[in-house]
Amino acid sequence: MPAVSKGDGMRGLAVFISDIRNCKSKEAEIKRINKELANIRSKFKGDKALDGYSKKKYVCKLLFIFLLGHDIDFGHMEAVNLLSSNKYTEKQIGYLFISVLVNSNSELIRLINNAIKNDLSSRNPTFMCLALHCIANVGSREMAEAFASEIPRILVAGDTMDSVKQSAALCLLRLYKTSPDLVLMGEWTSRVVHLLNDQHMGVVTAAISLITCLSQKNPDEFKTCVSLAVSRLSRIVSSASTDLQDYTYYFVPAPWLSCKLLRLLQCYPPPEDGAVKGRLVECLETILNKAQEPPKSKKVQHSNAKNAILFEAISLIIHYDSEPNLLVRACNQLGQFLQHRETNLRYLALESMCTLASSEFSHEAVKTHIETVINALKTERDVSVRQRAADLLYAMCDRSNAKQIVAEMLSYLETADYSIREEMVLKVAILAEKYAVDYSWYVDTILNLIRIAGDYVSEEVWYRVIQIVINRDDVQGYAAKTVFEALQAPACHENMVKVGGYILGEFGNLIAGDPRSRYVPFCLMFTLLFFFSLVPCLLTCSQKLRPQSRRCCAAIARSATQMLNCSSELRVKEFHLQRFWSPFSQATVLEEMPPFPERESSILAKLKKKKGPGAVSVTELEDSKRESGELNGAGERGPDPSVMAASNASTPSPSADLLGIRSAVPVSAPASSGSLLVDVFSEAGPTASSGAVNDDGFLRFVCKNNGVLFENQLLQIGIKSEYRQNLGRMYLFYGNKTSVQFASFTTTVILDNCLQLNVQSKPVEPLVEGGAQIQQVLNIECLTDFSDAPLLNIKFRYGGALQNLTLKLPVTINKFFQPTEMASQDFFQRWKQLSQPQQEAQKIFKANHSMDTEVIKAKLLGLGMALLDNVDPNPENYVCAGVIQTKSQQVGCLLRLEPNAQAQMYRLTLRCSKDSVSKRLCELLAQQF
Amino acid sequence: MIKAILIFNNHGKPRLSKFYEHYNEDTEQQIIRETFHLVSKRDENVCNFLEGGLLIGGLDYKLIYRHYATLYFVFCVDSSESELGILDLIQVFVETLDKCFENVCELDLIFHVDKVHHILAEMVMGGMVLETNMNEIITQVDAQNKMEKSETFIFQSTRQDR
Repeated sequence: MPAVSKGDGMRGLAVFISDIRNCKSKEAEIKRINKELANIRSKFKGDKALDGYSKKKYVCKLLFIFLLGHDIDFGHMEAVNLLSSNKYTEKQIGYLFISVLVNSNSELIRLINNAIKNDLSSRNPTFMCLALHCIANVGSREMAEAFASEIPRILVAGDTMDSVKQSAALCLLRLYKTSPDLVLMGEWTSRVVHLLNDQHMGVVTAAISLITCLSQKNPDEFKTCVSLAVSRLSRIVSSASTDLQDYTYYFVPAPWLSCKLLRLLQCYPPPEDGAVKGRLVECLETILNKAQEPPKSKKVQHSNAKNAILFEAISLIIHYDSEPNLLVRACNQLGQFLQHRETNLRYLALESMCTLASSEFSHEAVKTHIETVINALKTERDVSVRQRAADLLYAMCDRSNAKQIVAEMLSYLETADYSIREEMVLKVAILAEKYAVDYSWYVDTILNLIRIAGDYVSEEVWYRVIQIVINRDDVQGYAAKTVFEALQAPACHENMVKVGGYILGEFGNLIAGDPRSRYVPFCLMFTLLFFFSLVPCLLTCSQKLRPQSRRCCAAIARSATQMLNCSSELRVKEFHLQRFWSPFSQATVLEEMPPFPERESSILAKLKKKKGPGAVSVTELEDSKRESGELNGAGERGPDPSVMAASNASTPSPSADLLGIRSAVPVSAPASSGSLLVDVFSEAGPTASSGAVNDDGFLRFVCKNNGVLFENQLLQIGIKSEYRQNLGRMYLFYGNKTSVQFASFTTTVILDNCLQLNVQSKPVEPLVEGGAQIQQVLNIECLTDFSDAPLLNIKFRYGGALQNLTLKLPVTINKFFQPTEMASQDFFQRWKQLSQPQQEAQKIFKANHSMDTEVIKAKLLGLGMALLDNVDPNPENYVCAGVIQTKSQQVGCLLRLEPNAQAQMYRLTLRCSKDSVSKRLCELLAQQF
Repeated sequence: MIKAILIFNNHGKPRLSKFYEHYNEDTEQQIIRETFHLVSKRDENVCNFLEGGLLIGGLDYKLIYRHYATLYFVFCVDSSESELGILDLIQVFVETLDKCFENVCELDLIFHVDKVHHILAEMVMGGMVLETNMNEIITQVDAQNKMEKSETFIFQSTRQDR
């Protein structure tokens, strides 16, 4: 007889569900639902008191409507009435409603808590279980406050029914997770641990989750659980398949519990007690032996359950990492699974082997499977499995096989799934650097990387190759030659041009003998037209090559500007050219970059942030830090203070630029780690940001104009901007990171707080295809000085759901600065003129970033003012001057920044001809250093 | 920990959603859609595990699923759970439903979603596994039904239902 009889349901509910199912269209369905919601609402509000049955029927209808995706904002009170009823069916449905539609209204929670209290003290096990379920499902702070002391009592009381004990264990676990401060185990600890010995396997099943969690948090207090767990495990493992009756699942004794016991043991080091340890090793051996026995059933459930235990046992062996014998057996077992016909087993074997590869005992054994793994990377149909294979290759890589593995990963990249390309690129870049013996191989690898997957090569990666080339004399000539060759290709990726620009800029002279190299400025000049932001490095580069090329270069720049004069964009470019053409910049631009002080590779830092299997372990990180240090030839230079000082002494703008970007945006990680999914939780998904204004990116753009403003799992917004006088132009790049089209894509600039600006833009295309990027241009005019920033609202539909996002646009008053050079005398004269108290704004604040001279200078230059040398009597201090151009007026500004390296503090003083400007600049800048 | 248990049909219509972590209504619906999108495009004989969708927590979470006839059963779990263990748990859940409804089909889940919730509650509580023994679960469900019957009998004899 079926346990649920189908005939005795509620007819009204069945009719309603049938109605919904018969609806021909979504509209009809919504209409029917709204009708029902109105009906229920009126019934609940009506004068006639509803009986329990009707309430139950309506609450069930609401649950059904909720499941269909409609928000339910009423009915909670009726549900509370139901759960306070004495009738089981009403109570059950009332609790269900509250568990599904959790509501944090405190008045409501108070009523629910009252009902729970009654049920807990009712001594009716069914009611007690319902109440415990409700606490475990809602798990709010108020509930923890009300019941945290009561639940342990129920759990360990001698007369509590087994089913109630089970519920109490998990209820307590939930409260411990939400409010650990309220759950005081103290006196209960030992009795809770002894639940591992309970006769009822269900109680052990529930209790072990609780004990595992508590052990993770308080390993010492709970360490007696180790011997109990071992003996329980040993009893299960050695039992005949029929001993445990109902807990035998497809001929495997208590597989779930065995797995959990093995997990619990992974919270601890190997047992110290010889007898316990011996017993455990015996268990593990038995489990490994059983894997070789012929299966007791052909059903997949049988092998599943058996292998579930086996994989947990292997995890424990790897965790202990102390029994070479077991480790090798584990590795062999996994090796068998690598070629198993079950995809699940291949997946798990690759995953487990990944951890095994880091053990010194088994690293070599893992390496013997390299061909199989490479084959998996090439032939597996399932992207999840291929991803695990890539992780494992990364983990097993060492100097002996690096070339092979990197080559395989590169060739895989050509066809890899979009979702994993960025991570693959990072891995290849790290391996290439870590195991590079000859650096020409490293340079080749990174250039290949850019060629194959240029879009996924992040700033960190291409900055790194430049750093390494600069630090190693022996590879500079090769690098210059290779990038030069690479730039001959008819189409180059933007990142290739950037790397090429920097490297030829520095070391172009090393290939000056090549007759073709006089064309370098020409070909680079053309790319200039496309990648306008690269002007500085292109010009640097051309200057390095030959004096006569320089003239060509200027001529081309001029003719290019004239040619495209119709476009006003180019006027901005022209402006930039002039700026870099000035004798001032020529002088600094021609200096060589100093060696980079060695620091932790930013790429590693980035991958470290990408958690998940296959990410770098801590030891690995340290390893590679050490290795890369010595390999770069900078290891010996890095810590040497004299070199550091030397590099600080010169002020070449290219290096300041690089360092500046790197430290201003700490590895730009928060933004560009978009596929980093962990942080989604903290904000409950991208839609959650709808109401609030996101200004995370805003402050990063005070001292720079280009970069990624915003990034989440769906969307990336990049910015390039240019300002001249009181006008600015901002290019916004909206990139769809998913494979799904965004529909109804609209953007709106909101100037409510910022009427001092005039912003014009054209609407964007309403459809953004998966993987595509669209551009929008904003023309900005500054009418008068301003403090608040304009907002950018973005709306679109992703898979039916409306996304709504509001960002602060990084338009700040300092963007309209014109630098003003002046002599010391003039500076102090003007400083004195601006002596009214309101004209000055001052802040003393703690350094949030490196106090490195170059970094500070780069930021001040980025701010847009002129950085004046030899003005302040104290050479440690920085002074700047500039004029803010608005349509209505010009505001003169002077700045003085006094660092105190010992105290790690700054004093920032601003004097401006308009007091609101002093104040605003001071606010903005105090957060930059 | 089990973060969510979702059942939807081949067209993505949700038949059961149980979240053990609090999300707002919109996010829950999006998670269901995203999960359907991820799971439904996979071939039949690829592996039963994949990394979680972005909304549910991405790399740190796995979706473990089985496809039975018209229905997908998806458990979203963190790294503390054994993948194969959860696969067995899904099987126990389905076998239990099958026993309780006698050859369970999609319609049973549609018309008795409350019952499905009650059965699930005997297995999983607050995201942790309460019981894996099918007979024990069915015993509990049976006991519930008995109580229910004794009460509904009193109701239905006296009522015109609409």
